[in-house]
Amino acid sequence: MYIVEQGISMADPVFPPLQPPVLEVRNLVKTYTEAGSALTVLSDIQLRVRAGETCAIVGPSGSGKTTLLGLCAGLDDATSGSVLLDGQALENLAQDGRAALRGRCVGFVFQNFQLIPTLTALENVLVPLELRGDSAGRPLAEALLKRVGLGERMGHYPSQLSGGEQQRVALARAFVRPPKILFADEPTGNLDAATSAPVVEMLFALNRESGTALVLVTHDPVLAARAGRIISMRAGRIVSEEHTGHGHTA
Amino acid sequence: MATLPKTKPLPGSLLGAFFHAWTWRMAWRDSRQQRGRLSLYALSIAAGISALVGIHTLKTSVQHGIETQAKALLGADLLISSRRPIGEEIFAKMPSEVRKTGRETAFSSMVSIPTGERSRLVQVRAVAGGYPFYATVETEPPEVWGRLQTGGGILVEGALLEEFGLAVGDWLKLGARELRVLGVVKKGVPRSNRFSGFAPEVFIWHEDLASTGLAGGNSLVYHHRSLLLEAGSAKELSAVVSTIMGFFPERGVEFQTPEKRREAVGESLNRVNEYLGITALVALVLGGIGVAGAMHAHLKRRAQAVAVLLCLGCSTHMAFAVYLAQAGALGLAGSGVGTVLGAVLHAVVVVAAGDSLPVYVSPWPEPGITLLSGGTGFLLCCGFSLLPLLQIRNIPPGATLSERPGARMGGDWATRGVCALLVLLVFGVALFNGATPRRALALTFGLSFAFLALAGAAQGLMYLTKRFLRPAWPYLLRQGISNLYRPHNQTVLFLLSLGLGIFLLLTSWGVRTLLVRQMRFDAGGNGPNLYLVDVQPDQVEAVSGLLHAQQLPLIDSAPMVTMRIASVKGRQLEARAARKSESEAAGAQADAQRVPRWVMEREYRSTYRACLNATETLVAGELSSVAGGPDAAVPVSLEQGLARDLGVEVGDTMVLDVQGVLLNARVSSLRKVDWSKFNLNFFMVFPPGVLEGAPQFQLLATRIPAGQTSGQLQRALLGLAPNVSAVDLTSILSTVAALLEKAVRIVQILSGFTLAAGVPVLLGALLNGREQRVRESVLLRTLGASERQVRTILLVEYATLGALSALAGSALAIGAQVAMARWIFHSPPGLDWAWLAAAFFGAVLASSLAGLALSRGICKHSPLLLLRGNG
Repeated sequence: MYIVEQGISMADPVFPPLQPPVLEVRNLVKTYTEAGSALTVLSDIQLRVRAGETCAIVGPSGSGKTTLLGLCAGLDDATSGSVLLDGQALENLAQDGRAALRGRCVGFVFQNFQLIPTLTALENVLVPLELRGDSAGRPLAEALLKRVGLGERMGHYPSQLSGGEQQRVALARAFVRPPKILFADEPTGNLDAATSAPVVEMLFALNRESGTALVLVTHDPVLAARAGRIISMRAGRIVSEEHTGHGHTA
Repeated sequence: MATLPKTKPLPGSLLGAFFHAWTWRMAWRDSRQQRGRLSLYALSIAAGISALVGIHTLKTSVQHGIETQAKALLGADLLISSRRPIGEEIFAKMPSEVRKTGRETAFSSMVSIPTGERSRLVQVRAVAGGYPFYATVETEPPEVWGRLQTGGGILVEGALLEEFGLAVGDWLKLGARELRVLGVVKKGVPRSNRFSGFAPEVFIWHEDLASTGLAGGNSLVYHHRSLLLEAGSAKELSAVVSTIMGFFPERGVEFQTPEKRREAVGESLNRVNEYLGITALVALVLGGIGVAGAMHAHLKRRAQAVAVLLCLGCSTHMAFAVYLAQAGALGLAGSGVGTVLGAVLHAVVVVAAGDSLPVYVSPWPEPGITLLSGGTGFLLCCGFSLLPLLQIRNIPPGATLSERPGARMGGDWATRGVCALLVLLVFGVALFNGATPRRALALTFGLSFAFLALAGAAQGLMYLTKRFLRPAWPYLLRQGISNLYRPHNQTVLFLLSLGLGIFLLLTSWGVRTLLVRQMRFDAGGNGPNLYLVDVQPDQVEAVSGLLHAQQLPLIDSAPMVTMRIASVKGRQLEARAARKSESEAAGAQADAQRVPRWVMEREYRSTYRACLNATETLVAGELSSVAGGPDAAVPVSLEQGLARDLGVEVGDTMVLDVQGVLLNARVSSLRKVDWSKFNLNFFMVFPPGVLEGAPQFQLLATRIPAGQTSGQLQRALLGLAPNVSAVDLTSILSTVAALLEKAVRIVQILSGFTLAAGVPVLLGALLNGREQRVRESVLLRTLGASERQVRTILLVEYATLGALSALAGSALAIGAQVAMARWIFHSPPGLDWAWLAAAFFGAVLASSLAGLALSRGICKHSPLLLLRGNG
């Protein structure tokens, strides 16, 4: 059983302002240079996410949402600026250092699920535990798969599962080792409305139970509205921030 | 907070990661659904390793056989040979270590059935004194070797009896004597003459020799004395041998010890060994390329999985270790299969070679060298898989969020380091294959150059297609050709793998051609095929008349004078030879060591004439037709190979020992001689007016028409001039051809393995681009392209790639063959254009067929599965 830890946001007056943020982005800039011409896809991004907080990033295609998500998770290098994840500046860490940090406190849910196709559902869920050297996590992984409704399909490969089922396996993998922050990139982008609903319910339920901060990139306004805060982006900049009232207890 | 179980962090170092249980568990899981492809990876190396193992076990077994059977190869501790009878009085003074002496007189003559209907040239060996001391002579019926020494009998080779239709107990006529066939010699009598390899041998008791009337006056007689010494250390034996050598101060006496025989047999195998070594290296490098290609294709498929692992906290080291473990395990499996196949290859070659190997070789390979060869192949396999594995370091975890260009090979220190390691490994394997360091370096350089040239050709090709492609061209052609430079193109990989494969295969075949041509004699045309040797000056007229009477042409004749080289450019050769034979070569001059021993020790049969014959070409100086003044050095024309071995040029001086008389000579010209033609050719040609007074005999050459035998002529000769020997090349050539065919069969078996190693390379190259082409083609089909259109586009792309790879590979192979012909085989390149054309069109066809096969798969592919990302 997970003990819920309260999420705290600097922007949220309900919570004590001294709680340290799990993610802090300062003056972030990302520029791609190709064939001599530079294209700036993110400009001067400032963002702070506290433990347990849920935050949706919305905006039109090409506004820089996914790029921002990747930079926040240390999946790519910023051109300038700083990203502090769990208090550690990513720009000071080498690839392996960032991987270790992700292993300790970051979870992911991707639009295209990103399950390892040669591993069964159970083995996919076990990977984060195994990477920590935890050899006794099998009952926990099984319990989580049962929780997401896949108790009977643990031995199936991703190709034998539907899109919704694959995303539920991805959710179980993300929460098998409760992360401090979960990055979700269009988690329902490849699912229809009927399939999306249970996935979204599970995402928020697991998030709530584990006290994980959630950063969600989505085009879906209904999904975005379930987050405590909605950050709108356009042309690589944050243009607005809105508190929905759902907050960390959504 | 969540209560988490205690964990043990995974290792941070690559070495630690490689040996961690999770790495291997993950490697095993990750191989699911990929094992068919991965077995291709294993197969890529199996053929190469099997060739390496087969060649090394064979070489080692033969060498081991020569080592252990060296005494049996000679049959004695010391063999003393001379063209003149060896005086008995010397043996009375021999040291006490000499336990036994054997005696043999050997020469070529005709043997016939008593009615005289059929006859054949044989090597007669008259033996006495218990020779051979070390080999057990196997005969049928058994034990008749001993009965030979009771006299009146003859032992023959089985083939001779078959040829004559005779059986044991029948009679054969040798010279003037009829002898009963006591039995057949199966094996165990060491060869004493180099020449004896061409004609079947017959053995008689030495006491019977006089009664045959053949021993006197024949200049091709060899007298051998074999000695059995008291057992002792190698040093003691060497001292005794040196003492015995001292009893023969005169020239023209040759000494052979088991060590010397071992060297001689070993040297005769060197060239074949060298070819086999190149073949093994080629097969192995082809396998390595196959491995690199297959691994590259595998990792391309696994890039997303690697990115996911990195997102989930896996370190690059751990991810690298997972795929290194896969490569290692598959390499091990491939090496295992290759090693077993190599052992089978060893057995097949031993059986195919039959009795043509110089020593007994067990069909069971030696375990040590088998494992060592397999291990070497495994090492090279791992080395080649490292190159694609390095891409893992360049896979960004962000690839999980969006489709990005695949990881590329970086030009960083690690890539450069792996490339250097590969070069070192190839050099090491070349050395291991028996090449000299210089040759190994040349091979490694050649391969590296080919690799870089092909990579350059690929880049150039992409540039040119991009520049010259015109919008007016038909869409399907344009689409197919533009695939050569578009993103995800496979031009570089295809040219590197298929181009290099074609280059290696053609080069390997080219070397085979050069080798076989060097071994093969040309018996065709109107050249002579029968020599009459030892015709005394006063017999020339009678023998010429006999030829005329039998309507046989006198194609050529030449006087022959035997001589030795006493000194070259004022330096004594004999002294150096003696020092070397006494194992004191270390102190000898460096230039002396460069002169081959046979050049220093052999007896030269020289002639004199005023002009070149049809098979000679003057390459330096001028052929002198006059002797010059009485005090001037005699001008002599040398064969260019001999001049090279002696280190002399036109104008240099030599002193020749003409049967005791020293003759000052000056090199006046160098000749190139085509030895493959059986004309009367000589290493040294003197002008008329110098050697006429020296003891000499005449050599006559004629040609027996096809379908006839020389029996009638030889029978007539026995009556007219019994000392004249007829050397019938028709029978020699058939023996040589039989031996050669066995050698060619072995070479072909091994070349077949090289070809087998090339197949996975093509498959690996195809697999590399398959994913991308499947995706594109399915999208084209979804957009309305017909199956025919999709196939045409792929056919254009693959046919172009195949043609360009074949063109680049063939061009490189031609260059390599020209270079090897010039610097290794010292012969014309003799390019086989038909084979080159066949290889070119074969490669285009194979590539096109492979492209079509690929399109079959594409048209069976479900667009839905692909669009869902599971295709």
